[in-house]
Formats: sequence, C-alpha cells, structure tokens
Amino acid sequence: MIRLEDVTKWYDGRAVLDHVSLHLEPGMLWGLIGPAASGKSVLLKVVCGLIRPDEGRVIVDQRDITKDKESDIMETRRKFGMLFQNNALFDFMTVGENVAFPIYWGSDIEPDRLRSLSVKRLQDVGLSGSEDKVPSELSGGMKKRVGIARATIADPKIVIYDEPTAGLDPVTTSKIYDLLRNLQQRNESTVLAVSSDVQAIRGFVEHIAVIHQGRILYNGPERELDSCADPVVHQFIRGDADGPL
Amino acid sequence: MDAVQDKTTKAPRRNGQEDGPGPGQRLLSPVARLGAGILTLADHLGGIVVLLGATLWRLVPPRLDGDQLRRSLFKMGNQSVPIVALTAFFTGGIMVVQAGVFVKRFGATSLVGWGAGYAVFREIGPILIGLMFSGRVGSNNTAELGTMTVTEQIDGLRALAIDPISYLLVPRVLAMVFMLFALTIVGDVVAIGGAALFGKLLLNVEFGVFFQSFGWLGTADLFQGLIKASVFGVVIALTSCHFGITVKGGAVGVGRAVNAAVVAAAMGIVVSDYFLTYLLG
Ligand SMILES: Nc1ncnc2c1ncn2[C@@H]1O[C@H](COP(=O)(O)OP(=O)(O)O)[C@@H](O)[C@H]1O
Ligand SMILES: [Mg+2]
Repeated sequence: MIRLEDVTKWYDGRAVLDHVSLHLEPGMLWGLIGPAASGKSVLLKVVCGLIRPDEGRVIVDQRDITKDKESDIMETRRKFGMLFQNNALFDFMTVGENVAFPIYWGSDIEPDRLRSLSVKRLQDVGLSGSEDKVPSELSGGMKKRVGIARATIADPKIVIYDEPTAGLDPVTTSKIYDLLRNLQQRNESTVLAVSSDVQAIRGFVEHIAVIHQGRILYNGPERELDSCADPVVHQFIRGDADGPL
Repeated sequence: MDAVQDKTTKAPRRNGQEDGPGPGQRLLSPVARLGAGILTLADHLGGIVVLLGATLWRLVPPRLDGDQLRRSLFKMGNQSVPIVALTAFFTGGIMVVQAGVFVKRFGATSLVGWGAGYAVFREIGPILIGLMFSGRVGSNNTAELGTMTVTEQIDGLRALAIDPISYLLVPRVLAMVFMLFALTIVGDVVAIGGAALFGKLLLNVEFGVFFQSFGWLGTADLFQGLIKASVFGVVIALTSCHFGITVKGGAVGVGRAVNAAVVAAAMGIVVSDYFLTYLLG
C-alpha cells in the first residue's frame, strides 16, 4: 500500500533522508523511533507528499506520487489523516471547527450535522464541551487530542501521527495510545506513528523502525527489536548514556 | 506475514559536507555581497511574479472561500479606516499650512482648493494611504501567514487536500486590493475636507472659494490616483503574502519577514508610482 524506494532528501547539503526504503501493508501498525533531528518528521511528510524527495520513489496505492503534480497529490492525500508534531491547529477557528474542517471543506454536509459529528469525535477523545473554545485556550495534551480528532474524523485509510504523546504525562500517554488503538480497530486503518518515547510506542505497534541520521537501521517486527545487533539501535532503545550516539 | 522489507542501503558517509561555512566565506568581498543581494532580490521578485500568476490562475473561474474573503475584508477595514481617516485629515491640514506662505504673499486664495485637490488625488492620497495600509494591514498579513507557516498550519491545509493559495491567499489579495481602493476614496474625501477646514481656519479661505477652484479638477486627476491605488494594492498584497508564506526559522523568521515585507512594499510603491506617473501623464 505504501512503498518507499531509495528515498533521499537533502537540506543544506546534508542528506536528511538517506536512501530510505520501506514497505507498509494495509492495516499495519507501524512505529518509527529515533533520536531528535534524525529525519522522522521529514519521512512522514514525504510519505503523504507534503515534501517531495530529491531522489527515489514514493508509491501510495500503486501510484508514484513523486512524479505527480501538486493537484494530483492532493487526491492521494485525501486517503491520509495527519497529526503534526506541533498539532498545526488552525488558530483562526474554534476547536469544533478545526475538528469538522476535513469533512466540511468541499462537501455539502449541513452545519448541524457537521457540528454533531465534531462534538461526537471530541467526545471520543475525551474533550466534550470544548468545541467553542479556541486552540490557544487549551493545554498541550488537549491540543494533541484535538489534533487526533481532526486527523481521524474523515475516517482516513492511512493515519500518520507525529509524536502523539510528546510532552504528556504517562497516564495521558497510555490513554492516548488506547484511543489510537480503538480508532485504528474501528476503521481498520494503516497507522504510522513517530515517537521518541520508546517504551510507550513499543506497546502500541506491531512493526517498528529505527532511524538515525536519515538512515533506517532497523525495520521489522517489534518483538525482534531487542535482538538487533546494531550498536546505535541497542544504545537508543536501552537509553544508555555510553555508546556511539 | 513478512511485510516489512529491510532494504536499507548503506550509502557512503558524506564527510565534509556537514561542516558549516569556512571563515573565508563569512568575510565576503563587497562584490560577492552585491551579487548575493541581487540574487536575493531576483529570488523574491520571481516568487512574487509566480504568486501573481498563481492568484490570477485561480480567479478564472473564481475558486475561493467566501468566508475567508468576508473575514479578511472585515478585519482589514476595521484595522485601517480610523488611522487612514486621521492621517488624511491632518495631511489636508499640512498642505494648507505649507501653501499658506505663498497664498498670503500672493493673495492666491482662489487656488487653495485646486492645489489641495490636485496633490491629494494624484499623489499624496494614494501614496500616503498605500504606505499606511502597508504598515498596518500588509505587515499584519505577513505576520499572520508567517506564523501559520512556522506552526505548520499551511502544511496542515495541504495535508487536508486544501490549496492554501485558493483558501488563504486569494481572498486576502482580493480584500487588500479592494480595501486600499475604497480607503483611498475615503482618504481623498477626508483630506479635502481637512484642507477646506484648515483653509478656513488658518487662511480664512471661504468654503465657497475653496470648492470653486476645486471644481477645476477633472476626472483624469481622480482616476490617476485610483489607478495608482489599485496597483499599490496588488503590490502590497503580493509582497506581504510572499514574505509570509516563505518564512523560515520560527518566531525570529516571522519578525524578519514582516520587516522585509514592509520595506519591499514601500520600495514597490515608490518605484511603481514613478512609472505610473510617467505613463499616465
Ligand atoms: N525545511 C527544512 N529546511 C532545512 N532543514 C530542515 C527542514 N526540515 C527539516 N530539516 C532538518 O532535517 C533534520 C531532520 O528533521 P526532522 O525530520 O524534523 O527531525 P525529527 O526526527 O526530530 O522529527 C533536522 O536536522 C532539521 O533541521
Ligand atoms: Mg519531528
């Protein structure tokens, strides 16, 4: 369903993604971990066509989007829901309007129905009664949940979560992963999640990849991650202070 | 299910490319700096021309969000009507004070109305209101779009398969062009009113005398100013949008972009004013 072939992306003379190749099957729960600035966010944006790679191909549902025009990539993007690392909530809209926006734009759903759908989805993420607030009135964890509600309201086939639990306490973190799991099971969607919280995300995904300086060091089943021989992977997942990192 | 392929290629490390610029590059020679400046200018000019094309392309047939258009018109009008009126009123006054010496010496009271109208319609009105508008509305627009860029809201729109140019930029450009046009008319009226009032108070020019010579002005005088206002509107709208959506580097970058946008718009206004005055005679 999603295939990356030798994807390379350069910024300022540095390969932020360095010949990355991956293959994700429908319905897969896939996690990506790695140190800060290793290229995780860039990789997610390349997958949904927000960033065009300099080399290599990105194929979504048999379609090579690296050759598509922006207007054609838009069509492919409708299959995606995305939570951005810093949420990217529209600050000129209320919370309710933010959540409803993906189904409002370009459709003729009546305002009342739109509102009830967005209220319902806000309930799902535990934010009943927040629909008339504006994003700046919310705490970090609440913004994340609004972002999750907006990313999933259109029931997309593929959902991308960039750091869904960064900066949240452990209880909220496990609640958010429960929520993501429920949404995934309900829609049978494919999920790509990035996190720097290694333990929490390992409990959530079936497959995991480790990225470091733009290169994928491990990509395989989550339960075999511990037996990966790469010293960087080893150090990163154990959180050791000493090592190559 | 062996779904995951581990096909990571071991690319050779690219040593040397990760170093920053060497000390030699930091002390650029004046020639190199001039060259870099010209390249930057060309880069921005190119970006603005591309944006103009992209905006026009989306206007036939109009593909824009009515809600955003109303929102922009309302906000921009609200922001600028009071300051434009105040500036215009005193500008009318200043012209009377400046003309006062000659009017008194030569007893040219009958010319005050015509002189004020000529200067306001053709030059002072559009250029002053244009600069005010750029400082007020244009800078605000750059800051807003810049903040949306650095907080990934623009990418957020693209991720939802919404074209940010149709959704955010086209309504703003239309609203700014329309608003500057309307404000120039308001400003012209207020400035002439101010000139008439100060003429009466300072030079004792009766309203009847003022507006008699004012009547010598033709539609050409008015239209020259309104054509200028429309062009300035396009210049301000495109520069402020361009600098907003190309922001890099967080809050600091937004500050820099606002600064650059206001300076660029002012230069654009003055340069296009020169050519318009030349062409329109
Ligand atoms: N638009 C950009 N311009 C220049 N450099 C960028 C850009 N986007 C990302 N980078 C660089 O790419 C690297 C990886 O970024 P990112 O994917 O955001 O890291 P992370 O793994 O923390 O999500 C960083 O060094 C970042 O500075
Ligand atoms: Mg990131």
